Amino acid sequence: MEQKVKEIMGDVLDLDPQAIDGHTAMDTIESWDSQAHINLCLCLEQDFQIAFTVAEIEAMLSYSDILRVLREKL
Amino acid sequence: MRADTSLGEMRHAFQAALEAGDLVEATRSGRSLLSKNPLLAAASFIRHAVDKSSPERLSLTSVRVALLSSFSIEFIHDALIALGFLDGLRVELYQAGFGQFRQDILNRDSALYAFAPDAVVLALEGKDLVPDVYRHDIPDAADLNATVTEAGRELANLAEVFRERSAATLLIHNFAPPIWRRLGILDGEAGPSQADLVSALNTHLGRVCRESRGIHTVDYAGLVQRTGALSWYDDRMAFYARAPIARGALPELAREYLKFLRALIGKTKKCLVLDLDNTLWGGVVGEEGPQGIALGPEYPGSAFVDFQRAVRGLRQRGVILAIASKNNPADVDEVFASNNHMILRRDDFSVVRVGWNAKSQSVSEIAAHLNIAPDHIVYVDDNPAECDEVAHALPAVTVLPLPPQPEHFVRALLEPGYFDSLSVSTEDLRRAELYEQRDQAEELRAQSDSLEDFYRRLEMEVTFALVDNSSVARAAQLTQKTNQFNVTTIRYSEAEVLERCADPDNLVKTVRVRDRFGDNGIVGVMMAHASESEVEIDTLLLSCRVIGRTVETAMLAHVSEYAAQRGARRIRGRIVPTAKNAPARDLYERHGFQSHPSDSTEEAAWSLDLATGGIQYPKWMKVVAETG
Repeated sequence: MEQKVKEIMGDVLDLDPQAIDGHTAMDTIESWDSQAHINLCLCLEQDFQIAFTVAEIEAMLSYSDILRVLREKL
Repeated sequence: MRADTSLGEMRHAFQAALEAGDLVEATRSGRSLLSKNPLLAAASFIRHAVDKSSPERLSLTSVRVALLSSFSIEFIHDALIALGFLDGLRVELYQAGFGQFRQDILNRDSALYAFAPDAVVLALEGKDLVPDVYRHDIPDAADLNATVTEAGRELANLAEVFRERSAATLLIHNFAPPIWRRLGILDGEAGPSQADLVSALNTHLGRVCRESRGIHTVDYAGLVQRTGALSWYDDRMAFYARAPIARGALPELAREYLKFLRALIGKTKKCLVLDLDNTLWGGVVGEEGPQGIALGPEYPGSAFVDFQRAVRGLRQRGVILAIASKNNPADVDEVFASNNHMILRRDDFSVVRVGWNAKSQSVSEIAAHLNIAPDHIVYVDDNPAECDEVAHALPAVTVLPLPPQPEHFVRALLEPGYFDSLSVSTEDLRRAELYEQRDQAEELRAQSDSLEDFYRRLEMEVTFALVDNSSVARAAQLTQKTNQFNVTTIRYSEAEVLERCADPDNLVKTVRVRDRFGDNGIVGVMMAHASESEVEIDTLLLSCRVIGRTVETAMLAHVSEYAAQRGARRIRGRIVPTAKNAPARDLYERHGFQSHPSDSTEEAAWSLDLATGGIQYPKWMKVVAETG
């Protein structure tokens, strides 16, 4: 799962997947704006075949948050 | 994990191909990325990679698209750029803020017009434009018929103002009916029902599009219906981010826009090459016999009948049909002659290649016979190995592998919209017949003692006419579609053609050719601009059906006559070489023009001094100049 999340984040945010770690967050990544955030959530939904609630979307503000929300759902 | 590795490899292959400027390979790996990966993430990846690549290394056609909307449509960007790339387009986007569409269109100095778009999409949701029609409760004050009429009027006004300010193509979404109806099951009996109101609005819009040039309806209602409204919309994102279209639907909408964009820049396919066994009928005719193949009222024959009707429908729209089949010719002849369930007749096909050659060779022969480029051909076959063979030998051909079950063939053929065009001209509808005329003429050429003898026996009549309302669509279409005999390959929308006509110093004419075998219709366009001492030709093109008959000499003679009337001393012309316009490159040289140093290394400039007498019409043709 970690690998897949990194790849999707890499694709959507135009990052090197290898460089993504616990510090990767909306606050620190310039390309991760609010539009990219929605895009990222939609891509994660498509790949993991799930649907986030708005509360979850608003909580997934970093790589670790995304993993946490995904683990709860999967 | 293995799937991930191969995805990683595909990403690398894609990036490497981009860096090497290898468009064929980049398209191929991009396509597999999009089919294997969740589409949206792959689209984002491709978009970023394309953004970073150097455009001049890839022969992509640039197209500037402005998106205006009543909601947040920007989540479509990556899909539009990525899918456009697979169609050979570099889509450059302008995104207006949602709800800014009125200001953008009405204000002459808006960022929209500064962007100089080729195409503008006006994507409005009915909920936003006429909220009263879509509400769940009954609005207090409203006369809903009047609301709809008023909205129709606003759309007409926006279209009109837009047309005054820009010659770009305008694509306006029509409206999907509300999912839930105020009166529930009674909606259909209510007067007026919500469904009726939306349909009335769509009728208004249809009229606006019909009555203006270069303004088209995007059938959004049809698109929502095909997908299913409940899957199309994402209510969560509608309320949270003002982005009502679901993630799975965005690529579908992007594909719909690309049908228009491809048509706009001349990428409409012209010819459909079909396999026979298990494509037009079930089974192998060599084994089951002409009456034993599956075709007729019972499944699976019924599905093949339906597919044949879809193919016939394309022919009626002007698509040229051809056959490439591995079979004994006698068996195939027998099917056409004696199987009563055949919908398609043998003479629906302009070229038939039945034999044991490689399919790619048959397809090449078909292209050569019809004199059309491989990138205007769609090849359809049920056999994946044959599809691969054609795809590898002829990368420019679009290969459409059929799904395993025949009931899915029609969708596979029609869904991509390869043959969609922005107008259907009389010439399109008669195209197959026109190719037959051309074949008869070629036969005459073979029988003639000399070229001059051939020209004389052809009894050509060439008519030059000013562009008017009946011919503007055809004139624009020719500029969009003609690739071979085209000196500059400048594409024009209908509105741009009319704009050119409006200047009294411009000569804009269509060329119609008749010969002893019939009327070929409008086959050429030329545009020239007269200044004090010169006439400069910027567009001169001729359909490949009539190349090699000295019609181009008549066109230059016509310009020469015009130049003499205007008192010009010189005719200028330039050749902008493309991958395909080799047949046009020696046009000026052959007619005695002098070569000129050009500002650009890519194009060649030519001029003809009229003091030497100008160019004469060929004596074997009758020339008619209509003055309007």
